[in-house]
Amino acid sequence: MQVQVLSARFDIPDANKIEIAKQHGAYATLDKVFAMQPEEIIEVVKASGLRGRGGAGFPTGLKWSFLPKNIDKPVYLAVNSDESEPATFKDRYILVRDPHMLIEGIIICCYAIKSHAAYIYIRGEYTTQVKVLQAAIDEAYAAGYLGDTVAGQDFKLDITVHRGAGAYVCGEETALLESIEGRKGQPRSKPPFPAVEGLYGCPTIINNVQSIASLPFILTNGADAYKAYGTEKSPGTHLFGISGLVKKPGMYELPLGLPLLEVIEKVAGGLRDGRTLKGVIPGGSSTPVLTPEEAQTVTLDYESMAAHKTMFGSGGIVVLDDTVDMVKLVENLISFYHHESCGQCTPCREGLGWMLKIVKKIIRGEGNAADIDLLTELCDNIEMKTVCVLSAACTMSTRSYLNKFRHEFEAYVNGGAPAQAAM
Amino acid sequence: MADKVKLFVNGQEVEVEAGKNLIDAIGAVGIEIPHLCYHPALGADGNCRMCLVGIEDGRPPLVPACKTRAAEGMKVQLDTDKIKKIQRDIMEFELINHPIDCPICDQAGECKLQDYYMRYDGQPSRMTVKPVLKAKKMDFGCGVVHDQERCVLCARCVRFTRLITKTGELGIVNRTDYARVNIFPGRPLNNRYALNVVDLCPVGAMTSRDFRFKQRSWFLTKSPSICHGCSKGCNIYIDHNREKYKDDVIYRFRPRLNEKVNGYFMCDEGRMTYKLENENRLDTPSVEGRETDFNEGVEAIRRAVSQAKKTVILVSPSTSLEQMFALRQFANAINASVCGLSDGYIKKGDGDGYLIQDDKAANRASFALLGIDDTKAGFDAAMNGADLLVCVQNDLGKSLTDAEIDQLLATVKLVVIGNSRIPLAAKAAVTLPVASYSEDTGSVVNCDGRLQRYEVAVVKNQPQPTLIQAVHLLGGEVKNAQEARVGLQAAVPVLQDIDLAKIPAEGIALTDNEVAHVAA
Repeated sequence: MQVQVLSARFDIPDANKIEIAKQHGAYATLDKVFAMQPEEIIEVVKASGLRGRGGAGFPTGLKWSFLPKNIDKPVYLAVNSDESEPATFKDRYILVRDPHMLIEGIIICCYAIKSHAAYIYIRGEYTTQVKVLQAAIDEAYAAGYLGDTVAGQDFKLDITVHRGAGAYVCGEETALLESIEGRKGQPRSKPPFPAVEGLYGCPTIINNVQSIASLPFILTNGADAYKAYGTEKSPGTHLFGISGLVKKPGMYELPLGLPLLEVIEKVAGGLRDGRTLKGVIPGGSSTPVLTPEEAQTVTLDYESMAAHKTMFGSGGIVVLDDTVDMVKLVENLISFYHHESCGQCTPCREGLGWMLKIVKKIIRGEGNAADIDLLTELCDNIEMKTVCVLSAACTMSTRSYLNKFRHEFEAYVNGGAPAQAAM
Repeated sequence: MADKVKLFVNGQEVEVEAGKNLIDAIGAVGIEIPHLCYHPALGADGNCRMCLVGIEDGRPPLVPACKTRAAEGMKVQLDTDKIKKIQRDIMEFELINHPIDCPICDQAGECKLQDYYMRYDGQPSRMTVKPVLKAKKMDFGCGVVHDQERCVLCARCVRFTRLITKTGELGIVNRTDYARVNIFPGRPLNNRYALNVVDLCPVGAMTSRDFRFKQRSWFLTKSPSICHGCSKGCNIYIDHNREKYKDDVIYRFRPRLNEKVNGYFMCDEGRMTYKLENENRLDTPSVEGRETDFNEGVEAIRRAVSQAKKTVILVSPSTSLEQMFALRQFANAINASVCGLSDGYIKKGDGDGYLIQDDKAANRASFALLGIDDTKAGFDAAMNGADLLVCVQNDLGKSLTDAEIDQLLATVKLVVIGNSRIPLAAKAAVTLPVASYSEDTGSVVNCDGRLQRYEVAVVKNQPQPTLIQAVHLLGGEVKNAQEARVGLQAAVPVLQDIDLAKIPAEGIALTDNEVAHVAA
């Protein structure tokens, strides 16, 4: 089931070094790229059907085409490497195992969108990753792939690595821009959208690391080669991070569209012996949980996830077995989003803390049925009333547990924790 | 005239100004969109979410009104169940961690949380868990006291220090419900407009140390007036109250919107000049150091004037245009000279190019209109051979040293007519108290040549006569401000086309063609 498109050089020793990477094809596609017109590249990316790998799944080529035409301002690329969503651990592999794939992708993207300055916003906790990445960028400068004449062409490109300071919300694209500009990381109201008014007030494209890293393959092999993987509406491959209570948790590259249970069984080694499946978080902590019944029919692509009223998200799959206390899971979930709320909008700032206290009260055995209803209502009251979707990430997921595992909350309010299988 | 667009609010067609955001545009026709963080002087921030409105067929269908421009044909929904529920929900979130200490909160009565709770919420609390506890009565400097628990994090104060004073002392530190407005440690508010954050704060989080716990806001009468702290003439409210068995006392000045003068703000020094109206007032006439009644004081001055060989009237550059005119007429009648020496009112370099001016006098521009000489040379020339000096409101001690004054008084008799017990009054043969500007009506011309009017705000239990009344009793022909205005109209060319009885709220610019415009 596993494929090697993005991860082709992951297992080659020292592939983060430019010489090794080049021996295995890095930067080989640039001659072809610079022979094309920027607009042609955008068309190829559009044709490949590549969708944003940060979680929202917005078509990458379409995003690029939102840049205003005939602008007299510089265009910026911001690469979102603030990978902070719980259960998501895919981009870190690219950053460490094959940073030159990312740099090559940035060159392709910047040429296509006519940008001469790219920023990589990397989460502050990625200390090893930032060292490896910066070393690779330094190598690329030395080898002439960055700087005033990229790959010997009349094209200037500089890459700046900007380290975050530990805020999840800075993965929100406009908070990311605020942070790069040196301000407190708080999402901006949209409109204006970043493609029109982004970094330093200039048109800006913000793409996920994995989206950008997919470009060298697409440009080398063509859109059709990329579309050979995956489904019609979700083409390509994805780095899935499978965690939770499985025998072989890890990062696996798979084409989109595979059945979820089959992946858990055959790729991740299945559940531990004697355990039964209780639920699956399909794409990072913010995506609504799937019950075992729903997991039976879902496949790993955007449309199947949507049909099951959840989201593909970042491909961070968390497998939950019968030892998991869903109420405590929700407490963990809300405490994360509460802690990470930027505190700007009233509903998120005040509401998430309230929700957390109610869940804690339920767990302490002091809750009642009205608290469960209030929790459910607060999800509605907070959701989509804010500048960004951080609060919605919390409420959409929390609501799914309240709806699908309400009996566990009720068990708490009826005296005592719900019966869980022993670890 | 600004362009207009037609849009629909709750299905009703209204015509509003184009280009404005929905809060201002729709607010201008009397329809309120509740909001906490938006302020016209500070722009839209969009953090409170209280102004979310529905846009029928809009994409997105739910928008913050502060960030949405009025557009032709827009269908704005304010009264749908969905919007009403959002307003109720936002109020609930604002209040769950709020101390609800209205009985001891200075903001009570003029608090957006109170008003909006009554108008948009009205639900009992559902908060059954412990609220977030935060810091209270923090000293932010400049007389500003902050209560973090009452704060709604609207960031108006923060934006004020960034956008208006550009001093940036305030910030919001930390995230989520740990977010607090705060100063940098050891770096308190340090600007001359800091108390405006008290007015800007929509809730009771920013209070003035000076005003705290003095009055309930609903007892205060809010009378429009003009600040006399400098030549800018900031428009203000005089908030005053006559407590039972007590006198009418001023408790605070607050800025009053005038886009042509001060916008929404005023400086802290001007704000504190309310104390001059309450304190250290000259309240009893005296003759040769002996307290007496008003009539005897008037008689003493009349006698002094009639016995004097040469009288000089020294008028303050803060007296009103009407008062100056009445004095000039009186001076002409008794063959006295009128001077305006007041160099000491000017603090060179104190002005900041924004509101604060070097000239701490409210009406020096009127000297020019009436031909009153305020130079030292003019004063010296006038005093040559004079044996009586009548100081009217003018604190000569600001312009001359004690030695110079003593030297002057060796040969000159001094009469002080005024409202403040200035040191000069102790040296006067006769003192006569008169009403201060908060107890009088008058016109002043500010540093930009804008003519503004103030009316009587405070009525004391024992009102002093107005200056014009006092001058009339001394023998002046002008009986009251209205007569002075008629006289001014005839005497001052630039005022000829102005109806001095009706000065518009924004004032009239004497230096540009607005005069002609208003007259036409």
